[in-house]
Amino acid sequence: MVQLNLPQNSKILKGKYYKDKTNSSNLKKVNIYRWEPSNDQNPRIDTFEVDMGNCGPKVLDILFKIKNEIDSSLTFRRSCAHGVCGSCAMNVDGVNTLSCIKSHTDIKGELNIYPLPHLKVIKDLIGDLSGLYKQYESIQPWLKTTQTGKEKQEILQSEKDRSKLDGHYECILCACCSTSCPSYWWNGDKYLGPAVLLQAYRWINDSRDEEKQERLKKVADELKLYRCHTIMNCTNSCPKGLNPAKAIGSIKKMLATT
Amino acid sequence: MYEKNPLSPHLQIYRWHLSMILSIAHRIIGIVNSVAIILICLWTISLLFGEENYEIIKILFQSFFGKLLIISLSWSFSFHILSEIRHLIWDLGYGFDLKISKITGIITITGSLVLTVLIYLLGKNLI
Repeated sequence: MVQLNLPQNSKILKGKYYKDKTNSSNLKKVNIYRWEPSNDQNPRIDTFEVDMGNCGPKVLDILFKIKNEIDSSLTFRRSCAHGVCGSCAMNVDGVNTLSCIKSHTDIKGELNIYPLPHLKVIKDLIGDLSGLYKQYESIQPWLKTTQTGKEKQEILQSEKDRSKLDGHYECILCACCSTSCPSYWWNGDKYLGPAVLLQAYRWINDSRDEEKQERLKKVADELKLYRCHTIMNCTNSCPKGLNPAKAIGSIKKMLATT
Repeated sequence: MYEKNPLSPHLQIYRWHLSMILSIAHRIIGIVNSVAIILICLWTISLLFGEENYEIIKILFQSFFGKLLIISLSWSFSFHILSEIRHLIWDLGYGFDLKISKITGIITITGSLVLTVLIYLLGKNLI
């Protein structure tokens, strides 16, 4: 259901203000969404004054600096720190992105950091993505073939067929696209969302897969697929420069032409 | 645990960009246009019941508000047609590239304004 306002327990309050203690002249105000599960308070926005003279260029560097030097309770996911794992996806300056490849130097004024939109918050910047993972499982993202393995024969793929997977296999499932999509916000329980549909297309399009038609039939659903209204938020936010909107458009076109 | 956990902010914090604005505008204007078409149909039907009905509408349309209404509707219909063409091109599988979708978005907006002016000039018998 479309619910434009946040529920009562999600209304954001003004939080603490951490003044700079380094006497730096090059300060940046960083506003970060905080929520502590161990008490019953509403989420809040804490403001940190961060010394930019002594900080790396990425948004993730700021988060590390705050965690190391100002407030160690700040919680966020991160792993590889160079845009390969997809753990540190969050909403930076109003757009979903990976904080590890997002430069903060081109963001003027205060920096706002929120968790990925419209998710249940587990703590601070961590949203619950288990729904998305379940949907990912539902499209059965593995090769389906009648071969049993006894044939001892490699399933070959031509260079041309392999190139059809370009722009799809690179997806790291960071969920930036799905959580940027208003359709997914309102119908996230039924609509598969751009990330999962991009993967669905990747398997539909794999020349080695033998269940193309079944896959297409499965995804052809008013709610699962056609809730996409080409809002283009997904493509706009993808930190890997992929195009989920085009993949969804291609599935729709395939369904219309077969 | 689930009841207690807050929902992270969405519309409140997401930065609006062109195709997002055009998408929601397309829907809202679609609704406005359907209502407008119903009203125009009712007006046309009311003409069957005599001349005085025509006079009422004529007075309305000659007022400043009426003229504004006609111009706004010319724009909303132009916008919706162009935006729909943009969607049809997407349905054909083209124009998903970020740059191209931005260009088609700008064409939709400027085109709708140009069409409105053209309709106005046509209505005034100036072209």
